[in-house]
Amino acid sequence: MNALNPVCKLIGIFVPTLILAAVHHPILNISVFVICLLLLLMSRVRVKLLLLLFLPIILASIGMFFTGYHFQVESGAPVNADNWQMTGSAVWNGLTLSSRVLVYAGLGLLFALTTNKIDLIRSLQQQLHLPSIFAYGILAAWNIFPNLMEEYRKTRLAFRARGVYTSPVSPTLLKPMLVKAVLWSNALSIAMESKGFNGSVKRTEFYVIRVGWKDLLFPVVTIGGMVVFVF
Amino acid sequence: MSKLAFQSVTFSFSESGKSNMIQDLSITFDSESITVITGPSGCGKSTFLNLAGGIYPQNAGVLHSGHISVNGQNLAELAPDQRAPMIGVMFQNPDLQFCMDTVENELLFCLGNVQTPPEKMPKIIQDALEFCGITHLKDRKLQSLSGGEKQKAMLACLVALDPEWLLLDEPFANVDEDSSAELVAKIEELHQKGKGILVVDHRLEYWLPVCDEICFLESNNDMNITRYKMEAISDEMLMEKGILPPSIPYKQKGDESIVKPVNPILEIKNLTVFRGKQQILNTINYTFERSKVYALLGTSGSGKSTLFGAINRLYNYQGKILLNGNDVKKRVIRKTGAIGFVTQNPQDQFVASTVLEEITIGLHRTKSLSETEPILRGIGLWGYRNFSPYMLSQGQQRRLGVASLMAYDCQVLICDEPTYAQDWKNTTAIMDSLVEEMMERGMTLIFSTHDRKLANDYADVILTLKEGELIECSKPSL
Repeated sequence: MNALNPVCKLIGIFVPTLILAAVHHPILNISVFVICLLLLLMSRVRVKLLLLLFLPIILASIGMFFTGYHFQVESGAPVNADNWQMTGSAVWNGLTLSSRVLVYAGLGLLFALTTNKIDLIRSLQQQLHLPSIFAYGILAAWNIFPNLMEEYRKTRLAFRARGVYTSPVSPTLLKPMLVKAVLWSNALSIAMESKGFNGSVKRTEFYVIRVGWKDLLFPVVTIGGMVVFVF
Repeated sequence: MSKLAFQSVTFSFSESGKSNMIQDLSITFDSESITVITGPSGCGKSTFLNLAGGIYPQNAGVLHSGHISVNGQNLAELAPDQRAPMIGVMFQNPDLQFCMDTVENELLFCLGNVQTPPEKMPKIIQDALEFCGITHLKDRKLQSLSGGEKQKAMLACLVALDPEWLLLDEPFANVDEDSSAELVAKIEELHQKGKGILVVDHRLEYWLPVCDEICFLESNNDMNITRYKMEAISDEMLMEKGILPPSIPYKQKGDESIVKPVNPILEIKNLTVFRGKQQILNTINYTFERSKVYALLGTSGSGKSTLFGAINRLYNYQGKILLNGNDVKKRVIRKTGAIGFVTQNPQDQFVASTVLEEITIGLHRTKSLSETEPILRGIGLWGYRNFSPYMLSQGQQRRLGVASLMAYDCQVLICDEPTYAQDWKNTTAIMDSLVEEMMERGMTLIFSTHDRKLANDYADVILTLKEGELIECSKPSL
């Protein structure tokens, strides 16, 4: 999965996600989730990381199962599920809801954990002709992102150093952080321009992201498989 | 020979042009000289450099008349990719210069901007990295680099872009002395290869041995520049212009034979800090005493900010930090704000909407306007009291940051680079008032700096961080 063209991977994962939104079938959901899990393991994603990421997802999934279990069509709850092809079975209803949580998380993580963000942006630029002003703007913002948590801590500390105690989610912290974000983006855009960046002219690229037959096959298989199963 | 010329330039930050920052300024620099522009903080040095680099008026301000040109080409008429082969700029803040993740990707980004053929890129990148001595950093994440390494990476970008002129805006403000000396040597080498060098800096010690002329920038109502060749520069003349010559100390030494009573206030026991997987501080044990001034030296990335961050619970740590015998992790200590902290970047500590509020907010002892006025006048910011702190210049922000913490009661005041981006006058004003307040209130002052002379002149104890360990140095060894 790591070697697949990012845009082909994006289409091959995004379109099935849309199809899944319209279908309520726990077997399909669980099958896709298991495939995602296998692909993640085959892509050498660390098992420890996977376990950590899936822990809250599984908890949410269990929560959704019991929601569906207790509030199915015949329970008398004000839920009209007739139009959504649900059966009256409480278990089936619970599984339908909980498996949706799993499958969306699985697909999302499959893409996020096997895609290099720089390659994705390059691929979006080269294959989908994303304007470079967006592409490099996203990258610049992305690379500033890890600093945000540290900035949040620093801002809390600044208040504390002045004897003003703020709660962890205090809106008071937002103002200095927003001002800083604006100043950062301004300084960063000036620095990018001073290095010759011009969003409206053609650039040269050293890394060319190619599209091979395996890359094209991926969306064909995923979208085709989904269509065959559904119809 | 390349020429960078300001011709009858009138510039302001407002459309009305009522208060022009620059009025009918004409000056020409040629690439045969290394020119250093200096002046008091807040006089407009960075504005001048941003105009010279074509960043203004394209990004801010209004050019009411005149133009700035390189070899006759008006910079305002050029797009960024056309400007890059003429002018390259190195900025003050090394954290906000990069948009990619690794050094190599940043260099590829630069070369892609100026439409360099892809087959030529590897050789250009290799040469640039070798020139700057950072081949080993090629695949490193930019975020993991120290301030000095980031500036070297930035220099590598400029070398790869190969502009006719290099403009440097206080490039060593966040860089240790060794890295600064290395960077100056590289810049001098580039000059010998024909690059024009224009530097804005208030610390001249690095530049005096290599520069050909110094321009003094003064701003009363509008900007005024006087230029001198190096032959005309003397220590007396520098001091007259408000610049501290490298050989002159910040202040005359006091009586060092006075022994202050030993009274521990802040105890650090077995402090170990990891950032990610990297161990930054290694089992530090040290006791800070009441009413003493401590200076903390160390190269960029040696862990000075990490140590301060740990004391302020910004980072998780192993070991104990005790204030008056109480663990700083205890909620009661956290809430009282007994440890004041002046951050390296003054913007990190602003909590109010105006300069005036910044002084008054959160004070335990109530201060009236009449009491805050002398504080703001003392740091030259009374006229800016209704401005947002973010609208001040870097130097002014630093002074406000220090003053706002001094107005607040605390037992230990930690200052991360309190004189960063300050000229001589403001450096001594900040340090003198810090020490005076400290003596008056019996608190302890701990400050980090890259300036050994400042540490020697103001500190009772000089500490250095080396390979994760805190070592007390005797002053004569510096």
